[in-house]
Amino acid sequence: MSELTKEEPPAAPAAPPPTSVTPSTYLKSILGRPILVRLHTGVTYRGILACLDGYMNIAMEQTEEYGVGGELESRYGDVFLRGNNVAFISGDTKAK
Amino acid sequence: MSSIESPLDLIRLSISERVYVKLRSNRELRGVLHAYDQHLNMVLGQVEETVTSKEVDEETDEEIVKKSKREVDMLFVRGDVVILVSPPLKST
Repeated sequence: MSELTKEEPPAAPAAPPPTSVTPSTYLKSILGRPILVRLHTGVTYRGILACLDGYMNIAMEQTEEYGVGGELESRYGDVFLRGNNVAFISGDTKAK
Repeated sequence: MSSIESPLDLIRLSISERVYVKLRSNRELRGVLHAYDQHLNMVLGQVEETVTSKEVDEETDEEIVKKSKREVDMLFVRGDVVILVSPPLKST
């Protein structure tokens, strides 16, 4: 019995490789950069990512709000977005 | 914005200031922020509430945007209906 258990292969390591990118490391990497935030409603916000937290609450600067049809609706200086409304956050490659 | 580490700091710095709050179901509030918590529950004073509704004109098929406003002295907002909070523009 004890010989049999010795032949069992060791359990595969569960830890991911140290270089792995998690969603949170991606978000940290775009701090201070132009971003695009889409809400569940379809409304889009473009601006500079100032900071964010674990709820995905977002603070943005120089924010532009675009309606569902893509038309510019309004501009804000600073904006707090409540995280539960967020569908996705992406780096804004089209920003000047 | 260098003193901001968490998004809620933006709200903390807006205490006693007039803020713009966008809510679900096409509601907007402008009022003085008296208090808030981590859920974004808020107490606002001297509030102007704007409700925007769209209707389609039967004859011309055009969209008509209707805005109705009302004023409230003091208001408690439940945090879960909040979409966006924006402090007043400091520069302008």
